[in-house]
Amino acid sequence: MYRRILVGFDGSDGARKALDTGIALAKALEAELHVLMVEEDLPRYAITIGEYEEIKHQRDAYFAQLSQEVHLAAQLAEIPVQTHVVAGHEVWAMVEFIQHHHVDLLVIGHQGHSTLHERVFGSTASALVNHAPCHVLVVK
Amino acid sequence: MTNVWWIAFVWITLALIASVLSMRLAISVALMEIIVGAIAGNLLHIQPNEWINFLAGLGGVLLTFLAGAEIDPDSLRQHWKAAVAIGFVSFLAPFLGAVAYAYYVAGWSANAAKIAGVALSTTSVAVVYAVMIETGLNRTSLGKLILAACFITDLGTVVALGLLFADFNRWLLLFVVALALILPLSPGLTRWFFRNVGVHTSEPQIKFIFALVLLLGALAVQANSEAVLPAYLLGLVLAGTMARNWDFMHRIRTMTFTLLTPFYFLKAGAYISISAIGQAIGLVLILLLVKVVAKVVGCYPLCRLFRLPHRESAYTTLLMSTGLTFGTISSLFGLTHGYINQQQYTVLVTVVIGSALVPTLIAQSFFKPEVEEPLSDTVPEPVAGK
Repeated sequence: MYRRILVGFDGSDGARKALDTGIALAKALEAELHVLMVEEDLPRYAITIGEYEEIKHQRDAYFAQLSQEVHLAAQLAEIPVQTHVVAGHEVWAMVEFIQHHHVDLLVIGHQGHSTLHERVFGSTASALVNHAPCHVLVVK
Repeated sequence: MTNVWWIAFVWITLALIASVLSMRLAISVALMEIIVGAIAGNLLHIQPNEWINFLAGLGGVLLTFLAGAEIDPDSLRQHWKAAVAIGFVSFLAPFLGAVAYAYYVAGWSANAAKIAGVALSTTSVAVVYAVMIETGLNRTSLGKLILAACFITDLGTVVALGLLFADFNRWLLLFVVALALILPLSPGLTRWFFRNVGVHTSEPQIKFIFALVLLLGALAVQANSEAVLPAYLLGLVLAGTMARNWDFMHRIRTMTFTLLTPFYFLKAGAYISISAIGQAIGLVLILLLVKVVAKVVGCYPLCRLFRLPHRESAYTTLLMSTGLTFGTISSLFGLTHGYINQQQYTVLVTVVIGSALVPTLIAQSFFKPEVEEPLSDTVPEPVAGK
């Protein structure tokens, strides 16, 4: 049913539940598993390349560590996984990845912000449900 | 307020507020410092004193050195014809357009019009770089060409700022001769110093670079030129050496961005008159339009001449229309030297900030080129030991 599954991962508790579900689904369906991590808090309108690079190197180190965790989890489940780190807006970077790489199913965690926060800013999960051009599974 | 520690406390606290906002909003700390400075300047009426002016000046000069040192010499060599042509026209067209509009239409003085021309001729290398990281264009030949062209544009801006207001006397001649002697020797001398004296220790290395920057800056100011000119040129010639010293660059950036540039950008913001923005909003919009249209008229045909397709040409042209670092530096230079007044300064800085935002949004929304991304692992290398 699903040939290519993408998990959105940022190291949060919700994302870890999504990863576990993504690994279980990929194993059961013998689907290709990809994990996408988005560096979304890089500074826009930086004054020098150095200002941008300093923060990017810190984020790169963080996501390299998360990537190792993802590979370890997949290894324990005895399935292959490919991890990707891109810079950009969390929602649009994920939507673009899905479009470019013909993903069938997106698995994401529920962030659990307060009701007020979600009313004001909207949640990432609901934005992805609205905009992702594929099936979306939100894990709670 | 005369207690130096209270003054320092207020300015560093403002810088800290800007940092926290910057992290929350994912917007450059320098831009936030300008905004916080503007609010504090208009509401708390903070004013820079002598020692703040010195720290801010040193911050501006080191910032310019760091900006020059970020060039990728290989990309420039690889694309030098297209980069020099596009970069030079990207400087000249808006410079002439802004000078002409400010002088003939807005009625600014000749010197004020020249400052407007210099401030609006710039391209923000860092804004362009960040956009290209997000699109993946930084790995492509087009991306490397655009970045190399941006450095040429900024070189034009810095040279114009350094020479347009200089006194053509024996001090300028001495300055030019000193530049001609010191710049070619600097890479070899720096490598020798880093290898033999400041081995694996950033502290003497940073002092060595400071000494070079300050020597050339002193000569520039003696000739009534601007210290940012030799700082940028020194950065350019040392870029290859600096690129191999990640620890050194990390430490000099940390020191500069923590202790020096906050004073520079807060000061730049403090001089903005918020009421003047409302009064001159029409002029702000027109000058922004002048800058973008001049870049389009100058750069788009050249991009097509170098066989870039329409979409890539439009994207390149719009990214070349961004400006931030040198636009702010030029405007502050004009104000502190009395070439422009506070209202003109406010107009120019607002246009400069607008030019960092508007062309980027248009380019990303309508002209973003397609970049093929591999489906293999794309996790960055860990930074340890880099």
